[in-house]
Amino acid sequence: MEEGSQATDGKKRVAAYLCGCRGAISRHIDLESIAKELSISPEIVTVAMHDALCSRDGQKFLKEERASKNFDRVAVAACSPNIQGLIISRALEEEGMNRYLFEQVNIREQCAWSHADRDEATKKASKLIRGAIARTMELEALEDIEVPILPSALVIGGGVTGMQAALDIASEGFKVHIVERSDELGGRAYKLSMTFPTHNCGICCMQYCKECVFTPKIEDVHQNENIEVLLNSEVEEITGGFGDRHIKIKTPDGTVEFDVGTIIVATGTKTFDPSRILELRYENKDVITTVELEQLIVEQRDKGGGLKRPSDGKVPETINFIQCVGSRDKVKGNLHCSLVCCTYAIGQAREIKKVLPDAEIYIHYIDLRGPYRGFEEFYDQAKGEGINFVRGRVSEVVEDHGKLFIRALDTDSGDLLNIPTDLVVLAVGQEPADGSDVISKMLHIQTDIDKFMKDINPMFPSEFRRGVYVAGTAQGPKGIRYSIEDAKAAAASAIDLMQKGKIKFPRIVAFVDEERCRGCGRCRDACEYEAITLEEDKEKGVTVSKVDEIICEGCGACAAACCNKAIMINTFKREQVEAQIRALLQEAEADG
Amino acid sequence: MAEGKGGSFEPEIIAFTCTWCGYPSANLAGINKIEYPPNVKIIRVMCSGSVESCVIMDAFENGAHGVIIIGCLMDNCHYVSGNKKAEERVEALKELFDVMGLDSKRLRTEWINASERTKFAKAVNEFVDEVRALGPLPQMKKAREAEPRTAEQTKEKVKQIIEDTSAFDCVECGKCTTVCPIATFDPNFAPRTIVLRAMEGIVENIATDRDIWTCFACEQCNAMCPYKVDYSGFIRGMREEAVKYGAAPLCSQGGLIHSVQRIMANADLNQNRLAWVKDDLKVADKGDVFYFVGCLPHYDAIFKDRRLRLKDICESAVRIMNKAGITPVVSNDEKCCGHDLNWTGNESDFEKLMEYNVDLIKKSGAKKVVFTCPECYRTFNSDYQDLLGDFEFELVHISDFVKQLMDSGDIGADDFSKTPYKFAYHDSCRLGRHSGIYDSPRQLAEGFSGDNYIEMERTKDKAVCCGVSAWANCNAQVKKMQIDRLQEAKKLGADKLLMFCPKCQVHFDCALRDEIPVDRSEVDIEIEDFTVAMARLLSLMEEPKKEPTGTDE
Ligand SMILES: Cc1cc2nc3c(=O)[nH]c(=O)nc-3n(C[C@H](O)[C@H](O)[C@H](O)COP(=O)(O)OP(=O)(O)OC[C@H]3O[C@@H](n4cnc5c(N)ncnc54)[C@H](O)[C@@H]3O)c2cc1C
Ligand code: SF4
Ligand code: SF4
Ligand code: SF4
Ligand code: SF4
Ligand code: SF4
Repeated sequence: MEEGSQATDGKKRVAAYLCGCRGAISRHIDLESIAKELSISPEIVTVAMHDALCSRDGQKFLKEERASKNFDRVAVAACSPNIQGLIISRALEEEGMNRYLFEQVNIREQCAWSHADRDEATKKASKLIRGAIARTMELEALEDIEVPILPSALVIGGGVTGMQAALDIASEGFKVHIVERSDELGGRAYKLSMTFPTHNCGICCMQYCKECVFTPKIEDVHQNENIEVLLNSEVEEITGGFGDRHIKIKTPDGTVEFDVGTIIVATGTKTFDPSRILELRYENKDVITTVELEQLIVEQRDKGGGLKRPSDGKVPETINFIQCVGSRDKVKGNLHCSLVCCTYAIGQAREIKKVLPDAEIYIHYIDLRGPYRGFEEFYDQAKGEGINFVRGRVSEVVEDHGKLFIRALDTDSGDLLNIPTDLVVLAVGQEPADGSDVISKMLHIQTDIDKFMKDINPMFPSEFRRGVYVAGTAQGPKGIRYSIEDAKAAAASAIDLMQKGKIKFPRIVAFVDEERCRGCGRCRDACEYEAITLEEDKEKGVTVSKVDEIICEGCGACAAACCNKAIMINTFKREQVEAQIRALLQEAEADG
Repeated sequence: MAEGKGGSFEPEIIAFTCTWCGYPSANLAGINKIEYPPNVKIIRVMCSGSVESCVIMDAFENGAHGVIIIGCLMDNCHYVSGNKKAEERVEALKELFDVMGLDSKRLRTEWINASERTKFAKAVNEFVDEVRALGPLPQMKKAREAEPRTAEQTKEKVKQIIEDTSAFDCVECGKCTTVCPIATFDPNFAPRTIVLRAMEGIVENIATDRDIWTCFACEQCNAMCPYKVDYSGFIRGMREEAVKYGAAPLCSQGGLIHSVQRIMANADLNQNRLAWVKDDLKVADKGDVFYFVGCLPHYDAIFKDRRLRLKDICESAVRIMNKAGITPVVSNDEKCCGHDLNWTGNESDFEKLMEYNVDLIKKSGAKKVVFTCPECYRTFNSDYQDLLGDFEFELVHISDFVKQLMDSGDIGADDFSKTPYKFAYHDSCRLGRHSGIYDSPRQLAEGFSGDNYIEMERTKDKAVCCGVSAWANCNAQVKKMQIDRLQEAKKLGADKLLMFCPKCQVHFDCALRDEIPVDRSEVDIEIEDFTVAMARLLSLMEEPKKEPTGTDE
């Protein structure tokens, strides 16, 4: 039935290779005996061993094999198909083999390294290669999917991350649309009185200061002719798939529509609402968040500086910072650490110390976290300036006869503290921005357990997922520098994709056997990516399921949901998986 | 079965691991030289949510002793919700395992992060220990598959089938096509041409010809053919040959149901078929009347998400018999009648089931076997007796049986309350055309209807089918047929459509749940089992709770 066989008569022929992995496998497994047992048959053209298939020599060997022997498909027993498997199949592909006719099983990690008994490991390895051969015989030759990428980008969120990404992409000549839900660009960073650890101004943009040289500037964005800024706007709908998505934006002037090839999500964060923790008495006017402290400082800086507390305008003599509000607190808030609050709270305390040198300032912390260069020095200076650091969780903020007290345990001394205070500052943690769940749903971006958007691989910034990148604090709390780094990495990936103008990816996607489909819609309902629609086939007068290969992620949820098995995943078809399992379960003939 | 070094039992374990977490966690265990038993064989899939129940069952049928699915942590699935779907699927499958007598502990799910190598090793270690403790399973498959037939042999056989079914006599009048319900909806389908293709002797066709699987052997054409060509017999023979030639039948549920039936044929498991027998039901191990239940408990598990409550059928049947003072024999050791295997080309397993069931009934000492399921009835009445000769015990369908009880006065006509709804009766093909039972259901219906009984337009031997038989065919044309049938009943003003066949119920229910091309109001009709409806009218069963489709957690 299948096409694509390289052999001239169209018969399926498999070659099997066993890799010794420079002894890592061959020391633990008797490959010779496996090779001997795998008798050559009309279907199994050759069985051969090699010391290291992924080495240059191994690749050369495979190419020679392919050139000299008559097989169209290959089964390999070696290491993980996800890593070296790609090197091996690519080598064969260069010699004209269809790489979908390739299966590799892992007898290194899954046999040699996990079963000490040589006989047992050998027996299992022998079964695994049989399984691979059986599966290989059921595979079908396929072509990659190639999709064009439109030369334009959408950036969701106009904070420092969004602005940086937009500027980078625009500088390569691509059209960028920034959608910002508030009435101005800049996001969080532009509302801060200071940014740390540099201690530079964050708001004015009046002068050419050190900070501003490196952060993206609002005016640059507005002036750039490749960038369209849509303020007070939100994404209404995104349709289409990889490389060509149709965007609908709700703006104050009505709906705006356009198509883009890539998308950068930079929706940032919101801060934790401390009224969720009753003991902190946030309802008291003199219990404020670090964000409100910023506003207070900015306002009072305009009126000549200094710091007065909100309730009565009194200059506070004692100020207590409470760290980790809503963070590292599984019960009342979130488990994750918000990463920037230790740094900026110390910074704010130092700033206050500058304007109110006599103020008693306490910082209550669990432990201080500032995984940034210069943080330790920054902290050291703060201690030198007379700021009191108290280790231990604050149990309660108490209001007594109009006065505020902090009840806390100093875990270093073991003392129970009851500190009268004029002002309490809550270092609130961060959570994903409101509505970020809507965006992740729209774009099928996974969210992590902490609800932040998830990287495909946490080791790489902004690895692409079909032309959609998450950058900045939308991916998790981080400082400005790291947000900008993310933005640049995402922009570089998007630019790369758009410059190539097209991309190929494996056709490991769903397909429909229309004669079997009853158009019930179960597959469509099971698909998280909305890759499936029911479409009428006018000619046949029936409605059947259609898969958009570009949207499909190949997860197989549809295949499992279909009663009729009319929808299947390439290379993971039922027959293919069953053939492998049946072979694994069959006792080897030689075993008697 | 696998044996360890000391000759002790070593289970075969298949581990489905997702590409993103399960598989890497296993590899990481290897890289860190963490030992786990070699019993575990890993199958990489994209997502745990893609593992189909039929594939799991196939693994067991082929000798697996345990299956473990390992995917990403809950709420952390690479594909959003695949692991949740896998969990639900496995839960339903466990119910089926329980009914079948396969310990559901042999199925497990684990949610493990890619980095959690020790958790992986711990999970598989525990699982292997647990399955080892559960012990071996009997052989669940025919000892050896016969070699596929050669083209020459197949050609001969096909000739024989054509002869046996009088297909040679076809004069191409085309009458069959005019009545064939499939042909009505699929202009490319014609019973006659299947025969023609077979007569041309192109055997390669047999493996690829989908039409032989599309026909649902409803026997409309048999009834119509002036030359008495036995089309359904022809189709059944051709299927048998196709399978022997190496073609796999196209089955709904990926063949899960057939797998279950083959396992029943080949292994004697400690089944759990009688969970539906409530304390107040009177049933016996030996006695005059044997009630043959069929696979209702299985279907409730297989279609768990549909909440069909097919087990109400057996409960109703027993309550009706109890009311008439009869304590029927019901057997936990009953097996599938084999209808579906018989109609999908698996004669040998069918015959095993037949011999087993007949023996079971003989041992019970029963003089009479009562059936609620039309397929079981047809299979005993026609297929078993064709092969084994007439039985000493009598075979009765529940419709005839209740009619008899009324005639003898064991159940009074007044015992039935009158139906508060208008209803029509759907003749299932296995009961009607295949078995000639048309009258009793109608007499019963008229008895309790007041004047609420509506005769369908296409009725008795002209009745249109539910569209599927032996789970071998289902597609968009079939759906049209189902909708058409439901529309017919609705248009006539019926609130309910009663029927005896549990499978008709499953298939019509499917249509009602599907995305459909007509307005919902045109098919807004309740499907109810006839036996259950009778029990309700006799106040033996409660009216169903109005439960909307969806979750009731
Ligand atoms: C109180 C506080 C103090 C801090 N101090 C420092 C510091 O001293 N030093 C430092 O390095 N870092 C600091 N940070 C961290 C710093 O603010 C972030 O690193 C930076 O602002 C992240 O930028 P961003 O663009 O990723 O997100 P944001 O600045 O949060 O920007 C996101 C933007 O997206 C918009 N948006 C959100 N959702 C949508 C939507 N659905 N549609 C359209 N627009 C949307 C928002 O309106 C916002 O403009 C601090 C953070 C806080 C909370
Ligand atoms: S292909 Fe894999 S098993 Fe073979 S040498 Fe390379 S790393 Fe080792
Ligand atoms: S950065 Fe500091 S204050 Fe913020 S959550 Fe982490 S430890 Fe707590
Ligand atoms: S679930 Fe299967 S039968 Fe239903 S629409 Fe999808 S492919 Fe067709
Ligand atoms: S494989 Fe997954 S993503 Fe693709 S169509 Fe099926 S359910 Fe949707
Ligand atoms: S048996 Fe029924 S479905 Fe099959 S060909 Fe005849 S009329 Fe059509």
